[in-house]
Amino acid sequence: MLAQVDTFVGPEVNWFALSPLIALVAGALLMMLAGALTPRWPNGLYALACATTAGTAGALAMVQWDDITDNGPTTLVAGAVAFDTFSMFVTILICVSIILVAMLADDYLRGTPNDGPEIYALLLTAGAGGVVMASANDLIVLFLGLETLSLALYVLAASNRRSNRSGESGIKYFVLGGFASAFFLYGIALVYGATGTTNISEMVVALQNTVDLETPDGLALAGVALLLVGLGFKVAAVPFHIWTPDVYQGAPSPVTAFMASVAKAAAFAAMLRVLVIALPFYRDDWRPVIWVLALLSLLVGSVVAVVQTDVKRMLAYSSISHAGFLLVGVEAAGHTAGELDPGSGMSAVMLYLMLYSVMVIGSFAVVLVVQRHAGGDSSIEAFRGLSMRRPAIATAFTVFLLAQAGVPFTSGFIAKFGVIQAAVDVDSYAIAVIAMVSAVIAAFVYLRIMLTVWTGTPAENSEPIRVPLAVGVTIAGAAVFTLFAGIIPGWLIDATDTVTQYAR
Amino acid sequence: MAELVWLIPAFPLLGFLVLLLFGRRLGDPIAGYFAAGMVFASFVVAAAIYFDFLGKPEEDREEVVTLFSWLPVGELQVDLAFLADPLSIAMCLFVCGIGGLIHLFAIGYMQGDPKFSKFFLYLNLFVFSMTLLVLGENLLVTFLGWEGVGTCSYLLVSFWHTREEAATAGKKAFITNRVGDWGVMLAMFLAFATVGSLSYNALNDAAESGLMSGVAATGIAMLLLLGATGKSAQLPLYFWLPDAMAGPTPVSALIHAATMVTGGVFLLVRINPVITVAYDWVPTTIAYVGGITALFAATIALAQNDIKKVLAYSTVSQIGYMILAVGSGAYVAAIFHMITHASFKALLFLGAGSVIHGMHDEQDMHKMGGLRKYMPVTAACYIIGYLAIAGVPPFSGFWSKDEVLLYALADSVPLYLLGLIAAIITAFYMTRQVILVFFGEAKWESRANEAEAPEPEPTPQSVGAAVSDDPDEAAPDGGAVTTHGAHGEFKPHESPPVMLIPLVVLAFLAATAGVLNLPALFGIPTRSQLKLEEWLHPVIEFGEADIKSSWAYENEYLLVALAIACVAVGIGLAWLIYSQKRIKPWEPSFLANGWYYDSTIAKFMGGPGRAGFQAVADVDRLYDRHVVDGTAIGVRETAGQLRKGQTGNVRQYAGFIGLGALLILAWLVVFRGIL
Amino acid sequence: MSQYLPLVVLLALAVVFGILSFFASRLLAPRRPSSAKEAPYECGIVPSREPPERFPVSFYVVAMLFIMFDIEIIFLYPYAVNHSTLGFYGFWAILFFSVIFFATFVYEVARGGLDWGPMQRYRQLATDAAMVTPERTLASTVRRVGTEGREPESSSPSAA
Repeated sequence: MLAQVDTFVGPEVNWFALSPLIALVAGALLMMLAGALTPRWPNGLYALACATTAGTAGALAMVQWDDITDNGPTTLVAGAVAFDTFSMFVTILICVSIILVAMLADDYLRGTPNDGPEIYALLLTAGAGGVVMASANDLIVLFLGLETLSLALYVLAASNRRSNRSGESGIKYFVLGGFASAFFLYGIALVYGATGTTNISEMVVALQNTVDLETPDGLALAGVALLLVGLGFKVAAVPFHIWTPDVYQGAPSPVTAFMASVAKAAAFAAMLRVLVIALPFYRDDWRPVIWVLALLSLLVGSVVAVVQTDVKRMLAYSSISHAGFLLVGVEAAGHTAGELDPGSGMSAVMLYLMLYSVMVIGSFAVVLVVQRHAGGDSSIEAFRGLSMRRPAIATAFTVFLLAQAGVPFTSGFIAKFGVIQAAVDVDSYAIAVIAMVSAVIAAFVYLRIMLTVWTGTPAENSEPIRVPLAVGVTIAGAAVFTLFAGIIPGWLIDATDTVTQYAR
Repeated sequence: MAELVWLIPAFPLLGFLVLLLFGRRLGDPIAGYFAAGMVFASFVVAAAIYFDFLGKPEEDREEVVTLFSWLPVGELQVDLAFLADPLSIAMCLFVCGIGGLIHLFAIGYMQGDPKFSKFFLYLNLFVFSMTLLVLGENLLVTFLGWEGVGTCSYLLVSFWHTREEAATAGKKAFITNRVGDWGVMLAMFLAFATVGSLSYNALNDAAESGLMSGVAATGIAMLLLLGATGKSAQLPLYFWLPDAMAGPTPVSALIHAATMVTGGVFLLVRINPVITVAYDWVPTTIAYVGGITALFAATIALAQNDIKKVLAYSTVSQIGYMILAVGSGAYVAAIFHMITHASFKALLFLGAGSVIHGMHDEQDMHKMGGLRKYMPVTAACYIIGYLAIAGVPPFSGFWSKDEVLLYALADSVPLYLLGLIAAIITAFYMTRQVILVFFGEAKWESRANEAEAPEPEPTPQSVGAAVSDDPDEAAPDGGAVTTHGAHGEFKPHESPPVMLIPLVVLAFLAATAGVLNLPALFGIPTRSQLKLEEWLHPVIEFGEADIKSSWAYENEYLLVALAIACVAVGIGLAWLIYSQKRIKPWEPSFLANGWYYDSTIAKFMGGPGRAGFQAVADVDRLYDRHVVDGTAIGVRETAGQLRKGQTGNVRQYAGFIGLGALLILAWLVVFRGIL
Repeated sequence: MSQYLPLVVLLALAVVFGILSFFASRLLAPRRPSSAKEAPYECGIVPSREPPERFPVSFYVVAMLFIMFDIEIIFLYPYAVNHSTLGFYGFWAILFFSVIFFATFVYEVARGGLDWGPMQRYRQLATDAAMVTPERTLASTVRRVGTEGREPESSSPSAA
């Protein structure tokens, strides 16, 4: 120990390359501090600050993206953080989602005890956690991001202190999330035991150098299994989905939108990092597991959604089914993991995440509007006759639902097409067919909501539905994007094609 | 010229956008005229391309127009591209021509509807999707149009969505079509997996040059057949079409008779080389699906009382003929029959719309009668359409049906018999309809008195009568009847000119469309023979069956005579029964109920189907509660009511996650690791 | 791997013992449930008063302050031991870390974490009024979510 006195040199930190992350964290801290030390800010300013921070981070990520496409991917902070288009894509996705959610949260929080900087700071913190997850090049760093994201989410889920359901949702998520994190951490430990490192780049090298197919390493395989459990929980894949409906339903709608977009994106990014980038050596071992998870998620998600009566619960189950689709993409990526030609699975998943995030935030924004009007009721009855009272909102909602169903001319079609295409590319016909069948079943759910929205008459004495400006802008923007990306998706597809050049 | 083909979908799209933005300001009827103008503009473009092609040698009549690269996903390069060739231009001509006429008709029919401009917005969107479907250069663009027309159909069928049956019918159409769409999607992936492209040219070239294996061709053809049975309302997926009649009548004419429902036939013709290289049983299957549907639907039409339901089942039956033609390798005959059918069936639907309009929203044929005196133009046009569909020479239906039957016989005798019997029944039920509606004594007079009663009697015994069609009245339960009864008199009236002009034009087409493809019989000059076959030759060259040496071809005169005799028998029988009342009508309830096919499906979906969904949900709930508990069942039972003081759920959830973790661990460690 | 074999055996034995004891008690023990036995704390003493009293939330806030500094100490201690090795890099890192930690302290104080008594009451009486209603019990908060669409519990624990 003492012999090394003079030899320690801190890792070189390229601060500018980390700037998106720093912007998010600094924004969160500043908001907390400034918000606590100053009297109440004028209406909407907290949300504006949050959105500005996220926007800055997103813009910085785009600058980094340019740098990466020019100079190639690399790693930062002594190999702990990957600096590649993959992480920047997820960063941009997360920032966009934060902006949208902040706009939703603004009106939602007005007049509640929570109308302060805390919720927004938590959103930014969770976002920073998601970014760390996506750009981690070390399993410990990845776990750090996972916990940052999760802890912020637990608080957010329970943030509506006036609602028992919200508290219930938070505590359930907390207990189960802690349980799953334990699995994940144990998995990291076992993989460390098997490979002698937690760094992803070194892990790949270590595994390649000890090629010994005759005696598979039970220790590492057990680690992979536990990692799968942790990741499966975060992405809400069946059978680890069990928390999703309760938590989604109980959490405040903006937070639900956040969970369905940011948390899901970060979790899938982490899953790709861990499975496809770090553990291609075991791809034939984990791929069947992903296959089964995808199958179960697709079927349970779409089938159980059919018999739900609460729209938030329906969307929760539908998000499980979407997770199934994304897993189809992960499975496809698993076929070519670690090869020079990475295949289209990874970029298909990234594209899906981007498109799904926007449409799901839009959907929950509509749910938020209706739910507030109906006094917190998000059952399907609350949506009856929405088209008569708010035709524009009903139209936008229809766009989101059609997109979730995967109807052409909407982004959902492009997304589903991408993952199924990726599966077909690697000859995974069975799961592609199952995915399509489940899409047909799930279409029924969306159709049911649409019918309720477009038929039936609203209750007689109902007052007009109030649509706050920020929420209206969010819904309109999301709807326009959903249609635009559905009709002209080429630019997004091009962008996601480059995310397969990740740092090692 | 042909590079301007993109203008054909562009005009309806422009119309859609303009109506979307300014529709309500344009209002009634300007929005309607504008929409119709856009469709006619497309027609003009199509016609210009047609004449341009005529001036070129046969092999140059093809142009691929790429707008932009649409989906650059890995190896899959799909362009948003249009294919202008004889087939697509022929389709465009009749889609836009007949579509435009129906737009005109709808201006009169929808007059006064509060959602007038929205209706035309949907109609233009539909024409846009339909032209996209026929002009697509690859399966994906076609599929876009395919989904688009499905969506428009859904929107238009439930246009009066405040009415329960309209909403239900829309839902039914949507869900049934999803089954078919699924087939098309699978076919696309199969095509990409085997050929590496979705372009028709690439697919057909692969089939023609023998690069495509028989297995792949069989798969693609059968999956597309599944799609076609959904979209073109064939067995086993036909049952959404009769229900779709709940939509406004112009919609039934445009979508459910003339254009959209022929999309499946078009698709099969488009890939005819693939069908040709598929296993032998594939064309046979296609032919039998078509033939059996033709007969099956015709029998149902026998006993329907709703004027539109008869036409709906007749449409199913006639499309059955087209599919039969496709299966027998008679692609020209299929397209020929599609065109003649589009003109006479659109005519019949519009005529029915005119009757319904004039009868103040009455659809039960038993409450009509003697209408020819009150609606002379409508009656005359309707009768021309009737003669055409019944197959009376020299009206158009005769020529096309004859062609289909000729090829069917050349293929196999049972197919021919199916078609011939269906032809007799067609002549029979159409005669029945015309007699009930336009001849005989007026039965609506009694109805006018009946309407004085406070509660108008709902029409029992017929399923069809439940579907009423009232554009002017959003209120259900026959509010219109009461209104007119209150006037003290009830008289059918002729429709306004804007509705009659399209009728007359269509009647002209229905009477003369046969000249498109006259056979080499009756001393018809050689240069007017088989014009359509000549025109379509480059597209269907590979797949078209050669029947020049068959027995059927050599005895064509005999066949024609037989067909005419059959038609005469059908018409005569109906005349005896319904006009002369010599024979008691035979309309058993199982026919009126469509062989109970629909209700069986409904029962299944309502009973076991829903129960199935419920069961899966129950299972989910079970492991939610019991299976998870089941792992801990010992704990629960031994520790008694341990749950009482605590919350059960989270523990169960955790148990469940733990179980999943154990399974994954077991798989990876035991099966992958140790074994 | 063979040196791990005893561990595996031990693991298996532990699992088997657990299962066995559950089933053994179920099979062997007589089942005579009584309300006293089924009470939440089945130690034989029938509880006279429930639910247990709640602590004022301020205690938790102070506890959070404690945890905060606790964590800071945990990180500072290793740094202090190795500070010469870590050099300036370590110094700046730990300083940065402390600044962020200090921010949280400032936040908590600014939010009234150290305000006791009248001040606090005066400030938050109105907003807190809704939060301390007697309806809010542990049971009511925890049970409700997720019961939609399910059958109500047939054996409802009415006694609890």
